[in-house]
Amino acid sequence: MSKLEPVRLMSASGQLGYGVLKPAFERGLAHEPHMIGADMGSVDPGPAYLGMGKMATDPEITRRDLTMLLEGARGLGVPLIIGTAGTAGAAPHLDAVLDMVRGIARDRGLSFKLASIRADIPKERVLQARRAGELSPLGAFPEATDADITESPHIVAQMDEAPFVAALEGGADVVIAGRACDTAIYTTVALMRGHDRALSTHMAKIIECASLCCDPGGRDSIMATLDGDGFTLDCMNPDRHASPTSVAAHALYEQGDPFTVREPGGELDLSKAVYTALDEHRVRVSGALWRDMKPSLKLEAAAPAGFRCAFFAGTSDPRVIERIETIWTEVKSIVSGLAGEDAGDLLRARFYGLNGVVNWPSPPDMPPREIGILVECVAPTRERAKAVITVTKQYFLHHGFPGRLSTAGNLAFPFTPPELEVGPAWRFSLHHVMQISDRAEMRDLFPIAYEDL
Amino acid sequence: MTGPAPSRRPASRRLCDVARIVRSKNAGPGLLTIDLFFNSEADYAAAIAAEGLRAEAVAERYGVSANRVRRIPYPLANAIKITMDRKMTAGSPGDGDVYGAQQHALLLDVEIPEGPEGEMS
Repeated sequence: MSKLEPVRLMSASGQLGYGVLKPAFERGLAHEPHMIGADMGSVDPGPAYLGMGKMATDPEITRRDLTMLLEGARGLGVPLIIGTAGTAGAAPHLDAVLDMVRGIARDRGLSFKLASIRADIPKERVLQARRAGELSPLGAFPEATDADITESPHIVAQMDEAPFVAALEGGADVVIAGRACDTAIYTTVALMRGHDRALSTHMAKIIECASLCCDPGGRDSIMATLDGDGFTLDCMNPDRHASPTSVAAHALYEQGDPFTVREPGGELDLSKAVYTALDEHRVRVSGALWRDMKPSLKLEAAAPAGFRCAFFAGTSDPRVIERIETIWTEVKSIVSGLAGEDAGDLLRARFYGLNGVVNWPSPPDMPPREIGILVECVAPTRERAKAVITVTKQYFLHHGFPGRLSTAGNLAFPFTPPELEVGPAWRFSLHHVMQISDRAEMRDLFPIAYEDL
Repeated sequence: MTGPAPSRRPASRRLCDVARIVRSKNAGPGLLTIDLFFNSEADYAAAIAAEGLRAEAVAERYGVSANRVRRIPYPLANAIKITMDRKMTAGSPGDGDVYGAQQHALLLDVEIPEGPEGEMS
């Protein structure tokens, strides 16, 4: 039945800015894709980047990756689509990436029509949704308070492909978007060419991680060729192979449920998906289903949680190690007496070697020879965090206890000064779904600006 | 060869000896998801049947309430997914594993009894 012209979509990178691998990317260009895409962010690295408006990636490598993609796409004359600009996709992230793109165009003599799409949701709109009962937390995330909304410097929503489609229809050659569904980067061109939403979304969901779905997994460019009945995955690194098992297994990656993927306009159902080997390297995928649902948006925001100071130390003394929890309780109590009653509540310690990573139900059979100790203080102000951490460090170092052997000091510091001003601490304040009125609002909330470079 | 008659094969193995991959990661800042991959259908079936990998047993190990843990068999890849609510939102002060990438270790010594076909090597 496939009367549709096959469309080739190339995912250059699942994390633009950490170094796009050139050989696979260039092999991809030789296949003449109809579009090139890259995802540039997510919530994975935590709330700080969204809160601070800063990128997680290095500017030099980011510029290198952007240059490679811009030159590749302009060389072929096909659209370049980049989602979740600058790690978190809020205004400062998008603006930083747009500045880089303008600079690259100037330096490399590239000229094209650039569309940028903003994903910042006005606080008033979110407050209104909250009052109307149209804002619900995802999973076990707490209900939002007004303060969660008003104290967050940036609130972003994940756009679907509607604004991307509008940007390409508006003549854009290059689209750089704020926070976006990773699937939207790739469904845009497929849907514009009349392809099925279920297949397009499943294809997009797999290739947005580049060659991670292969065996061995990796970070190389991957090509999907979509037709009326399914799609074919072809990794552009000949040593990373897509197999039915490797691609099926990818549905588990960072997903709460491998059979259901919630998108802004509905739900992708993978329970009937079929994965077949075409040869040793390529896999054919079909069978995904789609259910339309009332449109909604996933919101993300981060709010300040104080200022963090910390110190790191180690100990090799068996008597310190054996009573470390008691020593810590006593030190906190002394610090509370000196630096204010609440000081103990601002402090947290992790004893690496004992319980720094996992909250073990019982102590180890054999005590470790050494442990690493990370003490942090998150206080309302920098000055307070600094004062509390400094006093804590000194009293921990010299804390006396019965049977102490090493009376000259309990801790080994790897550098001096031992106290670190880590910086502002952040917390996710919104991880919510907001109901929206209709598809039209999906476009209105994500304004597009064009410029000719 | 002399010596005592060979005893029965050990009735159980630990998850880390049976599974090909045991991994944990966030699925969004509020969820932790754990994937267990096995080399064979037999190992997968043994793991599915293991008492220690029931949702209730996993919940107890992680100290979360049982209704916050979902176990999803994924036979397509001989895999089991276990998804649970995070006790603390990823990256908030007090969270010690922003990516959730090292929370699998609590499961590594879960006993996986041999299935009925477990007599084969």
